[in-house]
Amino acid sequence: MKKIVSLILAMCLVLALVPAMAEEAPFELNVCVASEPETIDPNLANSVDAAMMTNHQFECLMKYELTDENLTEDTGMFNTEIVCGQAASYEISEDQTVYTFTLRDDIFWSDGEPVKAQDFVYSWKRLVNPDTASEYGYFLDHIVLNAAEIQAGEADPDTLAIEALDDKTVQITLESPCAYFLSMCAFPSLMPLRQDVVEGSDNWTDPENIVVNGAYKVTEWVHDSYIRMEPNDKYYDADKLGPDAIIWNLSDSETAILSSYQSGAWQFIDSFPTDMIASLQESGDCFINPYVGTYYLYLNCLKIEDWRVRAAMTLSIDRDNIVENVTQGGQVPATGLVAAGILDSEGNDFSEGTELGALYAWLAEQYPDADLETYSGRCELAEQLYNEAVEDGAWDPDTTVVYNFNTSDTHKAIAEACGEDWKTVLNMNITTENQEWATYTNGLGEHKFGVARLGWIADYNDPVTYLELMVTGQSNNYGVYSNTEFDDMITKAKATLPGAERDQILYDAEKLLYSEGGFPVAPLYFYTQPYCKASTIGNVGFTSLGYFFFQYATQDAE
Amino acid sequence: MFSYILKRILAAVATLLIIMAVTFFLMNAIPGNPFLSEKASPHAIELAFKKYGLDKPLIVQFKNYVVNYLRGDLGVSLKMQEGTSVKDIIFNQGKFTRSIKLGLSALALAILVGIPLGCIAAYHRGSWLDGFLRVVTTVGVAVPTFVLATLLLATFAVKLPLLPVKSGELTDFRSYIMPVISLSFYYTCYLAKLTRTSMLDAINQDYIRTARAKGVKTSKLVLKHALRNSLIPVITYLGPVMAGIITGSFVVESTFQIPGLGKYFVQSVMNRDYTIIMATTVILSALVIFMNLVVDIAYKIVDPRITLTSKEG
Repeated sequence: MKKIVSLILAMCLVLALVPAMAEEAPFELNVCVASEPETIDPNLANSVDAAMMTNHQFECLMKYELTDENLTEDTGMFNTEIVCGQAASYEISEDQTVYTFTLRDDIFWSDGEPVKAQDFVYSWKRLVNPDTASEYGYFLDHIVLNAAEIQAGEADPDTLAIEALDDKTVQITLESPCAYFLSMCAFPSLMPLRQDVVEGSDNWTDPENIVVNGAYKVTEWVHDSYIRMEPNDKYYDADKLGPDAIIWNLSDSETAILSSYQSGAWQFIDSFPTDMIASLQESGDCFINPYVGTYYLYLNCLKIEDWRVRAAMTLSIDRDNIVENVTQGGQVPATGLVAAGILDSEGNDFSEGTELGALYAWLAEQYPDADLETYSGRCELAEQLYNEAVEDGAWDPDTTVVYNFNTSDTHKAIAEACGEDWKTVLNMNITTENQEWATYTNGLGEHKFGVARLGWIADYNDPVTYLELMVTGQSNNYGVYSNTEFDDMITKAKATLPGAERDQILYDAEKLLYSEGGFPVAPLYFYTQPYCKASTIGNVGFTSLGYFFFQYATQDAE
Repeated sequence: MFSYILKRILAAVATLLIIMAVTFFLMNAIPGNPFLSEKASPHAIELAFKKYGLDKPLIVQFKNYVVNYLRGDLGVSLKMQEGTSVKDIIFNQGKFTRSIKLGLSALALAILVGIPLGCIAAYHRGSWLDGFLRVVTTVGVAVPTFVLATLLLATFAVKLPLLPVKSGELTDFRSYIMPVISLSFYYTCYLAKLTRTSMLDAINQDYIRTARAKGVKTSKLVLKHALRNSLIPVITYLGPVMAGIITGSFVVESTFQIPGLGKYFVQSVMNRDYTIIMATTVILSALVIFMNLVVDIAYKIVDPRITLTSKEG
């Protein structure tokens, strides 16, 4: 009897469990890409992580779409390409200065209102309006007609050359042809915004006020803890969206982030202690994506006046040692200022356009006997150039060069490695000084350093985004390099249609940067983007500008 | 007592005003500003200065701060949550409450464990138990909070997943355990050492010997006579500890991912978010002043011989 009762009870238990097992748990994807963003207002957001969040909530005229190309051995991570987003199609005038976008018919804001051309006009004008004080207010300068004048306060924001021809047609007039304008049209700062929403509340990005036109919408925001986004059912592609919720966990403690991932609470992270990369790669958790960015050192032309000393310092840095033993994140030793991943008009990697790389191209011509392919060969030439400068009286070998960096273990280790190289190879006197970020960036503008570090992540895929940094008077030209020939080349390239001629101008410009009188900046390595992703998560997108896309992510049963 | 408290409150207002002035001019004296970044052009920074009124003379800015504070307006964040009301950030987003909850829990644990441990060690002076407690408390004072917090996290949340990795908004008891232990460990050990020393002083006093000679029970002797007198230095220490525990919770809040005020206090300085620096400094200063007042009143309760005003003396 007891056995029968037990059997019946067991069967009841199993039957009770069946519906529960059949009901699928919602797919909530827990990711962590940064700490609390300063803002998720697309016009004001200025960080890659904030851009990732806005990319999921808003959609530009153009957008990043997943391709079927795996970037690494991670079969769940796909490259992306720029395709039409809110625009159904576009036309470019013959002189390539007028772009006319026709919007899709099936695009709506999350409150059901149709997305109109006027929403793009409002957003773009708001971005360049000086009163908005956006860090990216300069983004359209000398690209869209009148943008620079508006930013400078010399013209009314309404004069920006973007016009709604009707509710579904946006027309933009450029100052001159721009090879990368379409990719700019996918940039988060240029997402459409509704005037009534933005101006209707002081906190319009709060979950209760925000209205979006993208795939997901923020439904909960616990500041400094997490942002929860759920699918926007008004989005034209809503049926194909993956996660039932994307939870952006907000944290800046690398140890805590890794612990959360290892405990299984989070499925994706892109920040964790560097010294864990190797073991995480071994366990199949960590992969390294290409990332369009360059880590470089400004060599202050006001303090280190002779180009030969700057060239010697550039040559004597053991980049292989830095990427293999210091950063350990799969970074690539830099061969020029323009980061790997930036393409020329033929689709070739710009950094590979010159034999040996732009960093060594001119030197190879001038010093044909020098072995620039090996570190020892480069050190020999470095010594030669340095000694020449000393013999000519252009450099006092007793000078102490101050190397400034902002507080970070990695920056400190890199500074020590470079300092050691310069001491060993050139017998230079180097002192390193760390400063916290605000003091450091303030000091850069005052040009008091001898050497100072910085990194630059591309905003769009064109060499100009890097080379422009070295134009005379450019605010990021902290090393105070000035060469009118170089300036003219950049101006010319910006006004030249995409093609072989423009490519050549840009290749020559970078070569000129590393020739006699140059070497204002010593690139160390090209960035990579390590990340950890649970093996059950697939179909995640990535662009080498640093954005991950989770809207079509899938989850396999474990 | 009432007039004493009133005087202290008036003095507190003056103190806060001085703290505001010192903080304001110091934060403006250090290099940098809230809008600096790799990509911010000088023009963009200039526009941001204009937008938030930072282009005005410092004295005008300070006057505006004081007037706005008197109206209860703490301004808006310049960087960390750009454009969001500072009052909302500190109070409505729950940061202040979370830090207070965490701090009070840690303080309670430190008092409830530290003082008895100190008493036990003093009472058993020279024994193996005293020796053991001295080693533990010395180690506890020496171990940095981040080491302990990371160790606890790696052991109890990752290796043995018994406790949540993320304490978050501190909504359940389990989420308190590791942060409270990490935060209170140093103070527990310090209080134990302090109590032990004070108790030893008290135990050697003549009145204790007299009480012992009269046959007063040991437990009564310790709890009623020795402990009460040995608490004065402990109470003195507790005032600043309260504020210290809240402002010093930066590491614990970061490690256990608790969105609290301690983390904001430190980060606001790094970010030069002037309005948040001012607000957190004023609030935490007010807390220190209040705790000092509480301590002074507690003195009187613990030892009626202590006078609070010159008149009473």
